[in-house]
Amino acid sequence: MHLCALRDIPDGHSRGFDPRGGGRDYLFVVRRGRQIYAWRNACPHPGYEGASMPWRKHEYLDSERTHIVCAGHGALFDVESGECTMGPCRGLGLKALNVRLEGDEQLYWYPDAGVEEQ
Amino acid sequence: MNILGPDGLVFGVDNVAACNQYLTDYGLIPRDVSAQGGRFEGLDGTYVEIRRADDPSLPPALPTGSTLRKTIYGVADAATLEQIAEELGRDREVKRLDDGSIETLDDMGFALGFQVSIRRPLEAADEIVNCPGARQNRGVNVIGAAVDKDIVPVTLSHVVYFVPDQHKAEAFYVERLGFRVADRFTNLGPFLRPAGTLDHHTLFMVHTPPHMQGVEHFTFHMANPSDLLQAGKRFQDKGYESFWGPGRHIFGSNWFWYFNSPMGVHVEYDADMDLHDDSWEPRACESSEDASQIFNFTLVDNWMPGGDPH
Repeated sequence: MHLCALRDIPDGHSRGFDPRGGGRDYLFVVRRGRQIYAWRNACPHPGYEGASMPWRKHEYLDSERTHIVCAGHGALFDVESGECTMGPCRGLGLKALNVRLEGDEQLYWYPDAGVEEQ
Repeated sequence: MNILGPDGLVFGVDNVAACNQYLTDYGLIPRDVSAQGGRFEGLDGTYVEIRRADDPSLPPALPTGSTLRKTIYGVADAATLEQIAEELGRDREVKRLDDGSIETLDDMGFALGFQVSIRRPLEAADEIVNCPGARQNRGVNVIGAAVDKDIVPVTLSHVVYFVPDQHKAEAFYVERLGFRVADRFTNLGPFLRPAGTLDHHTLFMVHTPPHMQGVEHFTFHMANPSDLLQAGKRFQDKGYESFWGPGRHIFGSNWFWYFNSPMGVHVEYDADMDLHDDSWEPRACESSEDASQIFNFTLVDNWMPGGDPH
């Protein structure tokens, strides 16, 4: 499933996607150069599992853009591993999704059939 | 003790610019806004203050990294302030700050301030709806819907803490500061109000493991449910992320709409909260979806049927 062009995401920034029109972002990606890190937009906070994470459309990162931050209760996550490094989700992590940068400089999401259906 | 309710909340944040913009778009009145932070007021002057996380004037952060650095209560008069200083001074340090306020910690480690309240008297227009048979209606030729209505949150309503021990936390506020329990979710914690207000709650506690200690949300009262819905719609249209609602709670009866925020806490709009006095008998039940709300809607884009087949 096509998401966007690489150039649509400024280097170091994040972007959210709602490819199935569910009304809120299903996934988001963080771009670091030509590296793409794609995560399900679902905070693992116990009691809040699945909560949407940005504070505003596409805003998934802290001010220095070094960590993913959940705007629900401030949990910080490592951009590359998805592991929580601070806050209420300690010991938990984000779910990685299969998004690839292909030769046409476009990002495509390959849903895991039967698992990632909403 | 004649504590009126929260006058202000002070946050130490990572992204000052984002928080400044967020609270302005939420509808509060910005004061003294800079790269160092700002103060954002409701109609009566109650406020949220944003500071940099490394601002040395702030009380230390909780070990969990929670961004709330201080909850400042407004009290009726200087005598109440002295009463609190004496009571809490019996077993903890109570600092006297240059602005005349006092500062200390509650039994969970949340920093508290107390000051003679800065809130201004409110003069709000009643929301009058047209109801067949009602004694008072909005009236003939008086228009209800106002697309461009100026909507400002009225007053800081309540804050909700994640606490590692709801019973210990409740005991501190009830026994030391004279708060009353309005109602209780047995598995989460109590809804509390201080003696100087009739509001159902100005403080609610959610029992969590210690590493989650922090803030679930804070909220300002909106004038009425119509303003809540219209303000929330505007906020979501600006790209802010709805978390829950709009809906209506059962305990407290308040309408609600919660959003994510760059402070790393939820921020609510609430309206039409119940009032109680000391004759009220607290209710108690376990929390659940159906115990928590009467209804919960999700905003969708404006839409109309038709096209032009007529």
